Amino acid sequence: MTDASRETAPGLEVTALHAGYPGRPVVQNVGLTVPAGQVVAIVGPNGCGKSTLLRTVARLHRPESGTVRAGGEDIWELSRRRAAHRVALLPQSPRAPEAVTVAGLVRYGRHPQQGLLRQWSREDENAVRDALAATGTTELAAERLDRLSGGQRQRCWLAMVLAQHTPVILLDEPTSALDLGHAVEVLELVREVAATGRTVVMVQHDLAAAARYADLLVAMKDGRVVARGKPEEVVDEALVKELYGVDADILGAPGDGSPVVVPRARRLTKRG
Amino acid sequence: MTDLKAAGRTSTAGSGAHTGAADVTPPDSTVLRGGTLSWLLPRRSALAAALLVPVLVVLTALAVMASSTGMSLPETVSGLLGTGDPGTVMIVRDFRLPRIFAGLMVGAALGIAGCLTQTLAGNRLATPDLVGVNDGATAAVVAVAAGSTTAVVGNWWLGPIGAVAAAAIVVLCAGGAGSAGYRVLVTGIGVSTFIGAVGDLIMSRENDNTAGGVFLWAVGSLNGRDWGVGTPLALVLLVLVPLALAVGHRLQLLRFDDDMAASLGVDLRRLRAGALALAVALAGTAVGVGGPIAFVALAAPVLAQRLAGPTRVPITGSALTGAALIAAADALGRVAAPVELPVGVVTSVLGGPFLLWVLFRPDRATGKA
Repeated sequence: MTDASRETAPGLEVTALHAGYPGRPVVQNVGLTVPAGQVVAIVGPNGCGKSTLLRTVARLHRPESGTVRAGGEDIWELSRRRAAHRVALLPQSPRAPEAVTVAGLVRYGRHPQQGLLRQWSREDENAVRDALAATGTTELAAERLDRLSGGQRQRCWLAMVLAQHTPVILLDEPTSALDLGHAVEVLELVREVAATGRTVVMVQHDLAAAARYADLLVAMKDGRVVARGKPEEVVDEALVKELYGVDADILGAPGDGSPVVVPRARRLTKRG
Repeated sequence: MTDLKAAGRTSTAGSGAHTGAADVTPPDSTVLRGGTLSWLLPRRSALAAALLVPVLVVLTALAVMASSTGMSLPETVSGLLGTGDPGTVMIVRDFRLPRIFAGLMVGAALGIAGCLTQTLAGNRLATPDLVGVNDGATAAVVAVAAGSTTAVVGNWWLGPIGAVAAAAIVVLCAGGAGSAGYRVLVTGIGVSTFIGAVGDLIMSRENDNTAGGVFLWAVGSLNGRDWGVGTPLALVLLVLVPLALAVGHRLQLLRFDDDMAASLGVDLRRLRAGALALAVALAGTAVGVGGPIAFVALAAPVLAQRLAGPTRVPITGSALTGAALIAAADALGRVAAPVELPVGVVTSVLGGPFLLWVLFRPDRATGKA
């Protein structure tokens, strides 16, 4: 999966991006450079523009101005199909074809590489097999997706996105529907994926998880980037107050010092 | 050069890290590879097609023989070979064969058109007539018949022209061909009702002669279709069917939500517009030749889906099933009653119960009705 050229290639470069809907700017002047092999978490309150940013990077929403380069190429210069060789997206709650098996789902990840004369190459076969292995879903290959648990399903979706073999992978709140155990499982998987030289951008609601698993944290509010950097440098009381309007204590995790956000309960003092 | 490999026997591990590598080839398909080219042959669909072809041949043979006057097998064969008496030869070669040929083409076109619209809408009840194909084609034919002095209903190409015009109006009203399928369909119901009313209005002012001719056409009939109709129809299909096959491969992706499909490299606007245009052109041509024959576009893809399995978009199967349905219905119409029944009447009579079966039979794959 790893090859030398991909390691050195720039992962994702977003420059001066403006995007939105007529009369309603949503993403304003966002710039972002992520080297290959890193995990970026985009955090911010609901409606801050992080989902629109992700959709614009995924080439689903045309920006008003600015560029998105994935693996060195401007994705808006590419055809829909060629862009799918560069960027893969896992939407927040994707709908699967009825009655699809796990292997069937992951095979769809090879669609951008396939055509009438190239329906199932050895490369496709290996990509699907590797993606199943990497996500620990090999044993589930023949199962029907709709009969699996939420955590298993999410790993299968990740396998499909991996099989697409893109330098950039976008995940829209990949853990929002999962319990703690499965969320951690998915986030560990995200780290492993990045370790193979791919760039992962994920929208995350859970600030603590974002801080722990991301190399770079980008905080957005009202369509603008208000803070970016290493999580332990960026996350502080002022940022949490600015983003969410909440007073919180920021603690360092005993293990690695990564920031943990604990909201202050307003009535706590009354009881004591 | 080409290596043939049956699915289910791949055991070369792709990654050394995991033992017991999964077989990831589609279990229902056989892989054909040569150089950088590769194909998947879906075994169940291929088997279904292989079975449908002899069925078609038998039905065609029966259709050639079938008549209210009765013609024996030897007589039919002698007519086909040109060795029988001139009357028989003429009936078989100049009347029955071209009519049956046109019927097969019409059935194939309707089957594919139905398959495309059903897949686009994600609904087994969606047929091309919902976007105004039947009413548009009928209105065009009626208007021209009313305007002519000979009151002859003919000119198959009026069908596709009227159909495309009606569908274009529908698509414009719905806000573009890339719009969600249901939106186009709902607009189509309104627009086609209106166009149908215009056609009825024109017809109500015509004399009985024209009205009678138009009526026979408007229930769907293959009576009197000759090589002059069959040949251009075959040429149209020769162009449109390969396009439909190419589109069918991508249409599978519509089973995902739009964002996921787009992220997998599908240009949804182009795909939807292209598939709809193909469906309208195919169905419009079929209607131009055979009139608005009911239920074939609905039934053929549903039957083909059952044959091919739930994960396919059965373009080829729909074409073969549609052709078989028309051949059977046309033959039945010529032997079932003392007076020849138009093929459209037969399909309507058989189609009603079929529709109820589609509606109330639960889908085995999903458990949903």
